[in-house]
Amino acid sequence: MSAVDVVAFTATPKRSGSSISQRIWRLAVSSTEFRIGLVVFVLLALAAAIYPEASGIDPTHMNVRARLLEPLFIGDHWSIAHPLGTDQIGRDMLVRCLVGLRYSFLIGVATVALMLAVGCALGMLAGYYGGMVDTLIMRITDAQLSIPMIILAIAVLGVSRPTIPAIILVLGLSSWPVYARVMRSVVMNERGREYVRAAQIMGASNLRIMVGLIAPLVIPPVIFVSVLDIARMMIFESVLGFIGLGVQPPTPTFGNIIADGRKYLLDAWWIATMPGVFLCLTLTSINLMGASLERARHRIFGGLA
Amino acid sequence: MEILSFLARRIAQGLVIVFLVSGLIFTLLRVVPGDPVRLMAGGMAPEALINEIATKMGLRDPIPIQFMRYMGHVVRGDLGESFVRPANGASTGGSSFDDSTRGARAKVLDLIGETLPMTLQLAGVAVAMALVISALIGIPGGLAPGRWPDRLAFYVSSVFISLPNFWLGIVLTLLLSVKLGWLPAIGYGGFAYTLLPAFVLAVELSPVLIRTLTGSLASIMQEPFIAVGAVRGLSRRRIIANHALRNASVPLLNLLGVQFSGLLGGVLIVEYIFDYPGLGLLTINAVLQRDFPLIQGIAIVTSAIFVFINIAVDLAATMIDPRLEY
Repeated sequence: MSAVDVVAFTATPKRSGSSISQRIWRLAVSSTEFRIGLVVFVLLALAAAIYPEASGIDPTHMNVRARLLEPLFIGDHWSIAHPLGTDQIGRDMLVRCLVGLRYSFLIGVATVALMLAVGCALGMLAGYYGGMVDTLIMRITDAQLSIPMIILAIAVLGVSRPTIPAIILVLGLSSWPVYARVMRSVVMNERGREYVRAAQIMGASNLRIMVGLIAPLVIPPVIFVSVLDIARMMIFESVLGFIGLGVQPPTPTFGNIIADGRKYLLDAWWIATMPGVFLCLTLTSINLMGASLERARHRIFGGLA
Repeated sequence: MEILSFLARRIAQGLVIVFLVSGLIFTLLRVVPGDPVRLMAGGMAPEALINEIATKMGLRDPIPIQFMRYMGHVVRGDLGESFVRPANGASTGGSSFDDSTRGARAKVLDLIGETLPMTLQLAGVAVAMALVISALIGIPGGLAPGRWPDRLAFYVSSVFISLPNFWLGIVLTLLLSVKLGWLPAIGYGGFAYTLLPAFVLAVELSPVLIRTLTGSLASIMQEPFIAVGAVRGLSRRRIIANHALRNASVPLLNLLGVQFSGLLGGVLIVEYIFDYPGLGLLTINAVLQRDFPLIQGIAIVTSAIFVFINIAVDLAATMIDPRLEY
């Protein structure tokens, strides 16, 4: 979220019949890039939702006789039952990748929901009240933005047990400042408008104005931007898994499978490579959708690009 | 004169940020469970001894008191000594508690001083690569909005941003280093060892740069002064190089300042993958070993660099575009 974004965000939207968020959505969905992303994402999501149970293969089931099978049609040591091969103790790679995808996506979505909630609430307070509240909240965001969140995450997860709620909490609480900043600048812009002043004159409480009037107007575009952050958080989740601070084995996650496969890289390249391909495909599909939304928002708001 | 008051104001703000960061990290490290003295003294040390060492080091005092004492040393330029690293190399953690061969502990400032240049070299090469990649893909995209170079820029940035750095590092090592033998990858033994990690970082940095460059260049090409340039008889090449790119570089520069902490996060992982002896690797090890003074020292130094870079970026931006105010 650069300074450019903030400027584009605060620029006066061109008002017309349907709401701004509807117009952003429609413009984004009409682009080829969004549709490609959507198709890839739906296919991957369906596979992740159905295949692990449908195939009846347990992602943690070991089978020493079927160890280190290669992916289909590559080399001469493969089996039709394990399309992407097996790892060093005979666990099915395809099922492990798909189960990893589930964890990765769910953690990503939950994390983004948390950071949206915290960031929007604090940004709203800072933008609406201004003054001391604003200064305090903004200095905290400054400080937090200058520490790489990954250091924070490692520091906390390194000592507390990395359970799923802990991971969501740490990732979510270390990346809300960006949202607080965007919300603040948008809300500051709204604060001076007639409808807000009218509500104040009619005696509406501050809480009611913030939650009932401003929030419905400014939050939907912020949610569109947050799609990109789902992908970013999924990467962070995999990084944590990779350095051993993510969801712990035997639960398969992209990070811990890749960390595992790295030890066998020279003999079995597919163990470390396949989860990365899945992760990368998923992230690309989400990023294509998110970037299309972002671009549509820029166009509607009359900002740059 | 104006510039001096700008500098004074920004440096004062910067000090506040550094102070807040130190406070945040200091508190966080002491609130989360895990006793560093246990790691220092070794697993077999009796409880009484651990308490004795902890009390002697002041680790049982209230956090605000510990913090003020610590900041008092920092102001005098003393970042303290590492809990676990001896001055002469190997880690002391885990050895027996009454081991007399343990020498003096390393100074935090020395540890940072040894590794920081390595990381600056890596970061410098990475930023240079990222700028080249972004220019090659972003400039054609910005000059042809809506047409294929623009779409290409959109797809490339979407794919680049989707490549997890640690995975890309592993795959490139396997391909370029192990299979083809073109580049060295693991450890450090000369400048060539910087290239592969720097490229991985550049791939991570470039998507946002590409997108910003494409967007700002496209909108600048709509400005009247570009059309006027053609009327004045300037060649298209000259208009783009001297007028459009110069204006488009300002948001790019601001972005580099903002991205610094993201770059640092990337450096951490990339140095870990490639076993590159820089600040990132030092940080990961410090965190895993609960080396409080080292983590705090690194946090202070990096946030100071962050503040410095952002001031430098703002200064450079006003030099490129004199309309900007301090």
